[in-house]
This record gives sequence, structure tokens and C-alpha cells, in this order.
Amino acid sequence: MPKVISIHSYRGGTGKSNFTANLAATLALKGKRVGVVDTDVPSPGIHNLFCLEPEQTTNTLNNYLWGEISIEEAAYEVSRNAGLPENAEGSLYLVPSSVKADSIARILRDGYDVRLMNDGFRKLVKELQLDYLFIDTHPGLSKETFLSIAISHVLILILRPDKQDYQGTAVTMDVAKQLKVRKLLLAINKVYAQLNPNALKQKVEETYGETVAGVFPLSEDMVQLASEGVFCVRYPNHSISQEFRRVAEQIDKD
Amino acid sequence: MTDAQAGSNTGQETSQEVSQETRQMRQGELRSLADSITAITSPFRNYLSDLHEKYQPLGAGAVADYIPELAEANPDWFGVCVVTTEGQVYDVGDCEQLFTIQSMSKAFTYGLALEDHGRDYVNSKVSNEPTGEAFNAIVLDEATNRPYNPMVNAGAIATADLIKGKDGTERLKRLLDMFERYTGRSHDVYMPVFLSEKSSGFRNRAIAYLMLNFGMVSDRIDETLDLYFQQCSILVNAKDIAMMAATLANGGINPVTNIRALNEHYVQDVISVMLSCGMYDASGDWACRVGIPAKSGVGGGILATVPSKLGIGTFSPPLDAKGNSVRGIKVCEDLSKDFGLHLFNVAKPAHTLSDWLSGEGGTDEW
Repeated sequence: MPKVISIHSYRGGTGKSNFTANLAATLALKGKRVGVVDTDVPSPGIHNLFCLEPEQTTNTLNNYLWGEISIEEAAYEVSRNAGLPENAEGSLYLVPSSVKADSIARILRDGYDVRLMNDGFRKLVKELQLDYLFIDTHPGLSKETFLSIAISHVLILILRPDKQDYQGTAVTMDVAKQLKVRKLLLAINKVYAQLNPNALKQKVEETYGETVAGVFPLSEDMVQLASEGVFCVRYPNHSISQEFRRVAEQIDKD
Repeated sequence: MTDAQAGSNTGQETSQEVSQETRQMRQGELRSLADSITAITSPFRNYLSDLHEKYQPLGAGAVADYIPELAEANPDWFGVCVVTTEGQVYDVGDCEQLFTIQSMSKAFTYGLALEDHGRDYVNSKVSNEPTGEAFNAIVLDEATNRPYNPMVNAGAIATADLIKGKDGTERLKRLLDMFERYTGRSHDVYMPVFLSEKSSGFRNRAIAYLMLNFGMVSDRIDETLDLYFQQCSILVNAKDIAMMAATLANGGINPVTNIRALNEHYVQDVISVMLSCGMYDASGDWACRVGIPAKSGVGGGILATVPSKLGIGTFSPPLDAKGNSVRGIKVCEDLSKDFGLHLFNVAKPAHTLSDWLSGEGGTDEW
């Protein structure tokens, strides 16, 4: 049965897109068919991680939401871009949002029918026969956040170990409960070297009463790669890649 | 008015109470937004979405063309909306597109006539017997001179005649107010259709005069015919008619606004006559196969009421030979079969409605 996974954080800069790209690629490396939709319409960015240049993407999520194309026409296979081997069983697809200022302005001004987003996700899963659909969201709470939470089989909330993120995560969890989310996982990112990851994991789990699926360090290795390329694919033996595999297992097991 | 708003009007609360009430209101708003989003992502809406996709390509049927305004309808328009008695709205396709209510109005005008005069008097003017005759037949019950039922044109004109009011304007206003209670929003008469119906409605005029001859209608014939043509020319969309059906299903109270649209004593009359006569002369077969009281209109609408559960509204202009929307019939048939909505069904249906509405059913569908 296909699964929808939403990656969300209350505040920006938590490393949401990076996390999404790496987790999606990890599952694709396991032989899964994985789709990623960039619903961060106001500030799209995940296409960079999949080395997809805006000039190559004439069809975007925006065009679908305006009723110009079907959603699968906005899906680009990025398996090779992400560095998946030629003979890989799995594959990766990305539906990017437009980075044109005009397109962003138009969708912010006119809004869009949030039902189309739901129907598009389903169509994409069907047409591309996906095992997993990842939804990368805009930080904070909005209609599309609500939708992506309500639709998802697994919601992953990313937080950094600081007070503002703790508070925001609590708010998002309230919303998630109201939306009867099926499975919620937390991921702690950008953890300073001097913090003990296990103690932090335990503390956060106690505070929220939810599972922490992974703890990720503030990593210079990852920063060096910046927003270009998928870390897990390039450095499969790195401890960060191993942590992503552990998160993938938790998602894949049921 | 929410509790929070009501509280702030008393002017006696302490600031602490205000903040708590404000908080409750916010939670109410969170719940309401969460509910509307849950409805969008629910397995039930996904089911409707699949039905819509399945029947959109259907090319059968023809758009009504007895007046030019109806012939302009796009045959591809297709909307499906379901409203539960809890007030949850599930809509797919062209649910905002306006069209004229046509014969669907007849069931509701009948309800208002019952409120105005009571069952016995209304029944002395209009019978409740299904007829095999066409909806526009010029025929009355030979023994009593009454039209056969309020759903054929003769019966609907006799019913419109019963709507109280000092003049045509007041009577129309009362009808429009009634539809607003059912749908929760105000409605307009679409002038081009009204004028077309009025200028070409010789047959209906003949029916009215025949009934005047037998004393079945009062002598304000022109005013009543205008009212009848106006009630048929009211603009609605699929969501409106689903809401009207849901209001009947909810015992006459609009499930969203909680405003009563129809006296509880007459809900059964309206629904019964929909079941026996609502689908023109396909009503008997409909009652057996679909088993959901329904009323169709030549504008392409069908509204169907599953008592205590939900209302269905479908809109698609192409009609079959009997004057019912082809896609609308298909949607009602599938809903009835898959969720066991036939009034007399006792077998376990393929899908359990409550699970699919709440989001627990059909998760494999993804």
C-alpha cells in the first residue's frame, strides 16, 4: 500500500528540504518508487538538492494548480540527478514548484483550490505507481500544511534543540491531533556536538510523548555539500546516512 | 453565534474569562478548519473523486433544449456533492456552477404549501399517486379532478397556487426565503429562463386553466403561473441541492446553519412523494434499484435524501429519455450499492459509511 509522508517544521531553517531529499533517496536506494512534491509554493528550494535547474522545469506544481496540466506532467524523474546508480531498482520523481517571481506572486495573490492538491497527490501516486510520496512543506501553519498533515500516513516533524522550535512543535502537534494524524515521528536536526544525542532523544520523547525517529548532528560535512546533491547517496557510509537508514526502516516497517 | 461571541456580549466577564473564551473560540476555529480539511482528504471524498473520474467520460444523454437558455449548458459539467446530517460537506467537480433548479423545486414548494394549509387541505387539491404519464401530461384524476401528485407539472402548479402571500412579489419572496433556509444562502431567479418558460409555457397554461375549470386552483392564474415559472428558474449549484437534501435527511433542519427549513411534521410527506414520484416516470424502477428518495430537474440536477444520514446533490446536464441526468443516476446507483444506502437494504454493504466518513475506511485505496 502506498504511503504519504509529510515533512514539516514550525519554523524555517530546520533543514526540512535536506531531510526530505535524503530520506526520499534512502528509500529509493532500497528499491522503492518515491515521489517528492515541493508544496513550499512561497519559497521552493528542494529542486536544487536534486540538481534540477529551473530552466529544465517548464511544468511545475503551479501549472497543475492553475488547471493547465495534469499533475504527472509536472513530475520529473531525478533518479540520475540524485546519483542513484544506472541499474537501481528504485526511482525518484520530483514535482517542483515554480521559482519565477511572477508565478509565486500569482499563487500568493489568487490562492488555489486546496482540494486540487489532494486530488493531485492521489493521481500522482496512481500514475507513477509510487510506494512513497513525500510532501515537502512551507514552514509554519497554513492550509496546505493542514492538508498535508491530514493526508499523510506518517508525519515527520523536524525540530532543532531550542526553545522556539520546542514551542512551535507543540502547536503543530495540537493541530496534528485535531487532524487525527495516523503516525507521528519527530526528528531532531542540527544538534551541537556537545549535546548527548541519546539524552536529548529521551528528553524530547518524554516532553511530547512521541517517538524520536532520528537525531542528526549539526554537520559541516553536510553544509559543505550545501544544497547541491543528496548527501546519503554520495556518502552512504557516513554516520548521518546510517541515521537516515534507521528512520527509513521505521517508516518502511509497517 | 458561537458561545464565545455570546459571552462577550454580556459585558460582565472578567478579562480572565474573556481570554479563556477567546481561546475556546480559537479552538473552535481550529476544529472547523481541521474538519473542512479532513473532509477534503477523507476516504469518502476520494471515493466520490473516483466516481467523478469514472463517469466524466460518459457521453450518453442529451442536454434539455426546449428553451434556448437550457441548451447552452455545457454537457461536460459534472459536480457531485454529499452533505451529511453532521454538516460535513464532500464535493467533487463543478459544484459551484449555477444552474436552474427546475422540477427539484416542486418537492420544496409542496413542503411550504403543507405548512401554509395543513395536510388535509393540500391533499384535497393534489393527490399523492404516482402516474405513468409524462410529467407535462394534461391529465387529472377522473374521479376527484385532482392532479395525480405534486411532482408532475399539474400538481406543482396546483401546489404553487397554495403558497400564501398578498401578491406575486410576497409569494415569491416567501419561496426564496424558504430556499435560503434550506441552503444557507440567498437565491435569485434567473430572468432569461423565467421569461423563456413564461413565453413558451402554453401547455402549463392549458393545464392551469383545466384545473381552474374544476375549481382545483384559484383564479389568480397568471400570478400563480409566474410564481411556478419563477420557482423553476431559481439558480442553485450542486452544493445547494445537496444541502437541501441533507436538510430533509436531518429532519428539516439545515445541518450547517441549524436553521429549521421545514416543519418536522411534513418532512415525511416531502420525502415520501420524492420516493414515489420524484424521478418522473422512472420512479418505480428507481425506488427498487436505488431506493433513495430523490428529485431530478431538467437543468441536470438530482437531489437525493438518505434519512438520518446524508443528502446527495449531483449536477450534469445530459439527460436520459425520461428527463433524468445520466451521470447523476450513475452516481446515485453506485453510492446506494457500495454503501448500502437503499432505504430497505439489510445486507452488509461493501463499504461502511461511518468508517469512510471518519477516515478509518478505505485507507488501502491510496
